[in-house]
Amino acid sequence: MGGSVNSYSIYILMNVFFKILPLLLILISCTSDDYEQVSYENPELIFTVPAGFPQLNASVYTNKPTKYGVILGEKLFHEKRFSADNTISCASCHIQASAFADHHAQAVGIRNRIGLRNTPSIQNLAFMQFYNWDGSKLSLENQSIVPIITHEEMDSSILEVIGKLQTDLTYRVLFQKAFGDDQITPERIYKSIAQYEYTLISAESKYDKIKRNEGFFFTQSEAKGYEVFQQKCISCHSTELFTDQTFRNIGFPVNTNSNEAGRARVTGNPEEYMSFRVPSLRNVEFTAPYGSFGQFATLREVLDYFDNGVIAADNLDPILKNNNNRIPLTEEEKEALISFMKTLSDLKFTGQ
Amino acid sequence: MKNLKKYLLSALVCFIFISCNSDDAAVANNVTLSFKNTFGNTEIILGGAASASATVNTSDAGQVHHFSELKYVISNIRLVKADGTEVPYHVNDLDKGAMIIDQSQAASLQYIMRNIPSGEYRQIKFGLGVRSDINTLDQVRFPKFYAAAGANDTEMMWEWGTGYRFTKIEGFYDGDHKPMSIHTGSTVEGTNGDPSTYTQGVDAYRNIVLDLPQNAIVGSKAPRIAIKADFHQLLSGKANSITLSTGEGMDDNATPNIHTAVQMIKFVDNLGGNGTTDSKGMFSILNVEN
Repeated sequence: MGGSVNSYSIYILMNVFFKILPLLLILISCTSDDYEQVSYENPELIFTVPAGFPQLNASVYTNKPTKYGVILGEKLFHEKRFSADNTISCASCHIQASAFADHHAQAVGIRNRIGLRNTPSIQNLAFMQFYNWDGSKLSLENQSIVPIITHEEMDSSILEVIGKLQTDLTYRVLFQKAFGDDQITPERIYKSIAQYEYTLISAESKYDKIKRNEGFFFTQSEAKGYEVFQQKCISCHSTELFTDQTFRNIGFPVNTNSNEAGRARVTGNPEEYMSFRVPSLRNVEFTAPYGSFGQFATLREVLDYFDNGVIAADNLDPILKNNNNRIPLTEEEKEALISFMKTLSDLKFTGQ
Repeated sequence: MKNLKKYLLSALVCFIFISCNSDDAAVANNVTLSFKNTFGNTEIILGGAASASATVNTSDAGQVHHFSELKYVISNIRLVKADGTEVPYHVNDLDKGAMIIDQSQAASLQYIMRNIPSGEYRQIKFGLGVRSDINTLDQVRFPKFYAAAGANDTEMMWEWGTGYRFTKIEGFYDGDHKPMSIHTGSTVEGTNGDPSTYTQGVDAYRNIVLDLPQNAIVGSKAPRIAIKADFHQLLSGKANSITLSTGEGMDDNATPNIHTAVQMIKFVDNLGGNGTTDSKGMFSILNVEN
């Protein structure tokens, strides 16, 4: 008897189980469907343009930073699986404490391969119209593929990257939050990294606070430096970005690598041979060494070089040509200029 | 056992039948492009700096030179019928309609185009390089071509320009065998494919137009079009007579600068024509076999 009762109970249980099973299945599939269809609130970020900054790059309007787009972009920016051997991320060279530059003369990629140029800082890019030392890219969305595929940088491919990211549930959730579904596409990767970079705005330096009358004042040396700056530097390092975004040959020591021609590498225009984009001076304290391939270890060396005279060239910038190929500076002026340049340091931006 | 043999035999017969059949059908509408890379009329043999077997050429300016590597991309192939109708061959698909010619790989010199509509054709057009609208290193769209171009022994990617190299020539010049290294590719920026939006850069793509000496008959025949690429014109072209020099200056064109846009267009115009008055460049038709 006992046995049959047991069998009966089991029968009942089984019966109940089989009746529930389809429900369970439906429930499970519903859950997974729900997961696919969940839509997240993904608001556009409020984009505050600092006073006096130039106009935004047009691409910002077609790829406006959103809450999750930026979170995803920041995670991708730090993702070492972008490189073939999972050792290098964007952040490996673009280090926040160095205003998203690094301290190598020339960038160092996977397996210690040396790149062509000095890592440029990443700041206020939303307001730039040209990217890279030679302005080869006009929108950030078109830029991030370059380090991914370049032999001396990450030496990977976008499909290789996507293959790695697809196995990571965190990413699938983030892509869904940022773009509405969990598809990982090249375009979404490029867009989210650009969105993150658009939010990297530096406008909280001592200089900015003085300009905004927030109760800060230049020291005597800084004030003197600002004066010299306005006399001898501002023709190129103009606007609140401290670059006029032009390309100029200023007679710095030349990189003899066969891939280097400066701006002319892109345009083919001989007048732009070995011309480079005027770099911003913001956070310049943190981005040594200086020059397109790190020719100068310190700011002082750069100023000494200008003072001593630069290399002559047919297309040397007229400002230098008309001044005997130099920018004369007294020792006192150099000290003052360096003091002034340090007021452009934004510790909030560099996270120090 | 006997049955098994019968089965195998009939399977084999079927197989042969099918393969013969499918071959016949394909051949009937195939057109083969056969590239011959020359200095003048001499087919190029590649070789290292001190090679005794490499084909040595002398430019009009008197410079001896030979190649150790010779590659270029052909895409955007169109055949023009006797009545003027243009038949495009996968012109928007690099995986199906583009090829990388590599002088060191004999197989790469032959390109079979399939399923060409029957008819008589009097002209061929193709691009040296890749049109800007698809010259974007789009691995998702063209995984095969991307892989072929990116392979280590090919190196036909121009990473910083986010496009493909259109030609890659390595070699040596003058009696002391100085290296020459000539790469071409586009650096245009703008909305891809719309020249009115190009704000900077050079377009190294060249459209080639060649009349066939006799019509290629597709359908009843499977014609072979033999195309000559005369690399004598690299230095001694219709557009420019170029003297190679090595150094560190802007005008030194053998090694420095030529990986950039600075000296490139002179070579591009010689190889692929200047895009206006010359749409042949170094190319000509050797013959058409029907």
